Amino acid sequence: MSAQLLSYTPLLLKAALVTIWLSWLALLIGAVGGTLVALARMSTFLPLRLLALLFTEFFRSIPILIVLFFVFFGVPLIFGLDLSPFAATTIALALHATSTMSEVIRAGLESVGKGQWEAARAAGMTYWQMMRHVIVPQALRVILPPSVGVYIATLKESSLASIIGYVELTKTGLLIRETMGSSFVPLLLLALIYFLINYGISLGGAALERRFHVNTRLMTAGAGQ
Amino acid sequence: MTDTVLQFDNVVKRFGDRTILDGVSTSVQSGEIVCFIGPSGTGKSTLLRCVNGLETIEGGAIRFEGTPVQAKQRSIIDVRRRIGMIFQHFNLYPHLTALENVMLAPVIVHGENRKTVEERARGLFEKVRLSHRINAYPAQMSGGEQQRVAIARALATNPHILLFDEPTSALDPETVGEVLAVMRDLAVEGRTMLVVTHEIRFAADVGTRMVFLDGGKIVEEGNPREMLAAPRSERARRFLSTISNAAH
Repeated sequence: MSAQLLSYTPLLLKAALVTIWLSWLALLIGAVGGTLVALARMSTFLPLRLLALLFTEFFRSIPILIVLFFVFFGVPLIFGLDLSPFAATTIALALHATSTMSEVIRAGLESVGKGQWEAARAAGMTYWQMMRHVIVPQALRVILPPSVGVYIATLKESSLASIIGYVELTKTGLLIRETMGSSFVPLLLLALIYFLINYGISLGGAALERRFHVNTRLMTAGAGQ
Repeated sequence: MTDTVLQFDNVVKRFGDRTILDGVSTSVQSGEIVCFIGPSGTGKSTLLRCVNGLETIEGGAIRFEGTPVQAKQRSIIDVRRRIGMIFQHFNLYPHLTALENVMLAPVIVHGENRKTVEERARGLFEKVRLSHRINAYPAQMSGGEQQRVAIARALATNPHILLFDEPTSALDPETVGEVLAVMRDLAVEGRTMLVVTHEIRFAADVGTRMVFLDGGKIVEEGNPREMLAAPRSERARRFLSTISNAAH
């Protein structure tokens, strides 16, 4: 049996890469989307603020699986547009990641004191100069740690794609399991692979935080207001 | 022989239904050092913040070098590029060193050459007597040091006017003097300065004009020494006697 399992190793590795890629893509879209939604939520234009709030609350409150079904089965019905399982999963995960990341990013931006925005504005910076050189560098130290958590969550949630028949890591494991007479071993192996990937991400995130921490220590006091 | 740098024309500012500035009119000539004094909450800082559009105004007009100051318009950026501001709480960028703080605006806002800017910045650190702290982060510096870096940062873009918003109010008493000394140097250079302050002695020694605000209005303005010696209005007299008692 172990020999048989060993022969599946390349398949599992490839599936693991698919899962990593899929969730990374969703996180990237989530980071960009989350930034836009966070900015909309902080806008002075009320309708925009409400729209962003609605979006965040909506996707935060609905199970990802339901969103996935809506995207995979609903979009073809409504828009007559056929989505591949990969695209559907990416979109569903990205929508969810966007709603989570928007809150993370908003918290980060709001952690930067009012005085910083004023100093940047008083210096004659445009909105984007202020964001790029003053606000975002300071917000990142607040945004980074929970973002690692969002990535790990997204990666785990990507296993839902197996339900709509997309062959990522979980689906691959389940297929292997079928060829082995419903053995329990492939499931254990799956859990181990997920653990290793996510533990790796955790370690990477911690290293990144440590690098930031050097600066954070230097910039704690006298920053706010 | 003098140019009007700044013109306040019946400026009205409200926060909700509270009127902060209630028809303020005055003007500032090039080279003047105008000190705004008055009880807390009378709109001195607000008036200063209206000059570079950190606050919007609800009525009247402000003109800076002939340009209307309109907080919500794109033109405000051009106004701000000619104004330097020093805040009560310094507001240095905590993720940048002292030198980087001073260099940021000239490089990214004014698009100046990095080398030229660094040279000028080093000169400014000499002027504020902080050459030895050039690579420190704000959190590693005392309040007085941070405020002097903030002054260097404001000077780095060669502003036509400097706005000081209670520059010594957040400082430990022992560092107030070093900041005021730097401000005296600037006055000697003939810079145009607007100073909101509770440092009456400084206002009297360095200021060319004193403006007393109360209840969102200019109650009295004039030569600082004359005004200190013989305030014309009852309110100014009462305010000045309160703070000169507190100072001694």
